[in-house]
Amino acid sequence: MNIAQQIVNGLVLGSGYACIALGWTILLGVARLVNFAHGQLYMLGAFATWYAMTKLGMPYPLAIIAAIVALAVLGALMQSAMMGLVMTQNLTSLMIVTLGLGYVLQGGSALIFGGNPQTLPGTLARAKVDLGSLWFTWQDVLVLVATLLLYGAVWLFTQRTRFGSVIRAVAEDPKLAELFGINAKVVYLLVFVFECGAVALGAALVAPRSPILTSMGFNEVIMTFVVVVLGGIGSIGGALVAGLGLGLFIAFFGAFIAQAYTTAAAFAVLLALLVVRPAGLATK
Amino acid sequence: MTALESHSPRSLPLLRTAAVVVLVAVGFFLPRLLGGTSVAYSTLTTIAIFAVMCYGVDVVLSYLGEVSLGHTLFWAVGGYAAANLSVKYGLNGWSTAAATIALCIIAAAFLGAVTLRTREFVFSLVTYAAAVVAYEIAFNWDAIGGSDGIVGISALKLPFGFTTYVGATQEDLWPIAFALLLLTLGFIARFRRSRLGTTALMVQMNPPLAASLGIDPRKVRLAVFVISAPITGLAGWLYAYQRAYVGPDMFETYFLVMMLTAVVLVGRRILIGPLIGTAILIAQQNLLSLGGDWNKIILGSVLALVLIFWPTGLIGLFRRLSRTKA
Repeated sequence: MNIAQQIVNGLVLGSGYACIALGWTILLGVARLVNFAHGQLYMLGAFATWYAMTKLGMPYPLAIIAAIVALAVLGALMQSAMMGLVMTQNLTSLMIVTLGLGYVLQGGSALIFGGNPQTLPGTLARAKVDLGSLWFTWQDVLVLVATLLLYGAVWLFTQRTRFGSVIRAVAEDPKLAELFGINAKVVYLLVFVFECGAVALGAALVAPRSPILTSMGFNEVIMTFVVVVLGGIGSIGGALVAGLGLGLFIAFFGAFIAQAYTTAAAFAVLLALLVVRPAGLATK
Repeated sequence: MTALESHSPRSLPLLRTAAVVVLVAVGFFLPRLLGGTSVAYSTLTTIAIFAVMCYGVDVVLSYLGEVSLGHTLFWAVGGYAAANLSVKYGLNGWSTAAATIALCIIAAAFLGAVTLRTREFVFSLVTYAAAVVAYEIAFNWDAIGGSDGIVGISALKLPFGFTTYVGATQEDLWPIAFALLLLTLGFIARFRRSRLGTTALMVQMNPPLAASLGIDPRKVRLAVFVISAPITGLAGWLYAYQRAYVGPDMFETYFLVMMLTAVVLVGRRILIGPLIGTAILIAQQNLLSLGGDWNKIILGSVLALVLIFWPTGLIGLFRRLSRTKA
């Protein structure tokens, strides 16, 4: 049954979108910062995983951790450099700086990893599961389960712990939060490090599905934008639902209308939403 | 120097006009002063075209204080309009330029209207996404060139009454590029003094004052965005004739990073800032090139470092240095 298979494909795609978008959701929603290097960080996360597995001979789980650590360190460096702009909430400059840094990452990765497409080795992405007429891979199952667990953990962390309310206090008013003895710089640093680590994890999980190139990342960025805006900026549950919904939409659009224009279709959804509900779906 | 302070003393209008005339004359003969080689002509033509491209972003970034990441779209619209209309329908340069202006205004008005009610970063996000999506469409849609683009665009023809100016070589294209640059500079100079230009600056510098005067910042944003688009579009239009080829590579991030860097490098709100910035960056890429990937690292780093350490650009840095010395 083709429809059922497309639903499976949609959930597979959608969990990937949601997984990659998690870091941006937190960064934008909780800390009110943006990061236009997100696509290049995704690319770098995929290549860090690839490098750890093929050149350093690490097993897959260890390579994932290595990629997360590498990008977390990079994120800490980036955020330290941008701290002045972050503390003054200079969003205009931050957007441009992160875009420039993304361009640096793209050039640097091409130098280090070369211009050829690579594939992440691994058995999960090739292990097919057949259920009657439906099929998917164990990698897809891993992405879906990991995404659900991550979103659950992050939701609990931001809503139910003291540190979660600290982050929200800083986002609301960094100066006021500092009066209450909160070190806003540390909070911003940690949130950005989380964004970089989360996108590395997303890349390590999602990238084995297709060949990786140092010039990739744009498609992932658009999908992330759509997920974050569709879900209502900063809403964690909204982003998860939006990711899965977008995945289903893209799967059906690709299967029945045009595979080549799926990004354009996602963008059309975003534009339509902005006209109807400028603040996102999750708001009342 | 902001646009508001830049009114020159009215007592010296003659001197000022004379200085501008001398500068324009020197500028026009600059390729000949640099040896008159075809490299000199092509490099200076490229600088003029890229500077015009950057002025489109300059209008939005410097005077409105918002970030458009979608100007590569208008750049490509100009290139694709010139290529498609001249190759398929044999239209002359005036018609393709008119089509470029019309298409850019329509595209910008659409994007601006859709984001009219959203917050500022959503505007940047949507413009960025628009450029990426337009790339996907240009890459896949064979009717406008597809992944191969359009090769063999014939020389630019501009009929003036009974004679026709043909821009066949780099040397012939230079006067056109120079004229386009002058037109753009004149337009920006007028814009800085216009009602819209001063209103945009007020919205950026003093939002409460703008609000108290009943100005809707979002409508100002839409208007500024719409008039900025054809500037970058016309640069893309001429670029298509210069290269005799357009393809999906006109959407490369390179052009976007180049536009932003050229604007912030010298300093925002300085009339000839983007021109000098473009000249410095093109000179590095053409004369001191370290290879594509290293050039990416340099360009991206310059952009990030300027904004982090010297947000006022080279002019601000120069002023600070001269003040500490004094």
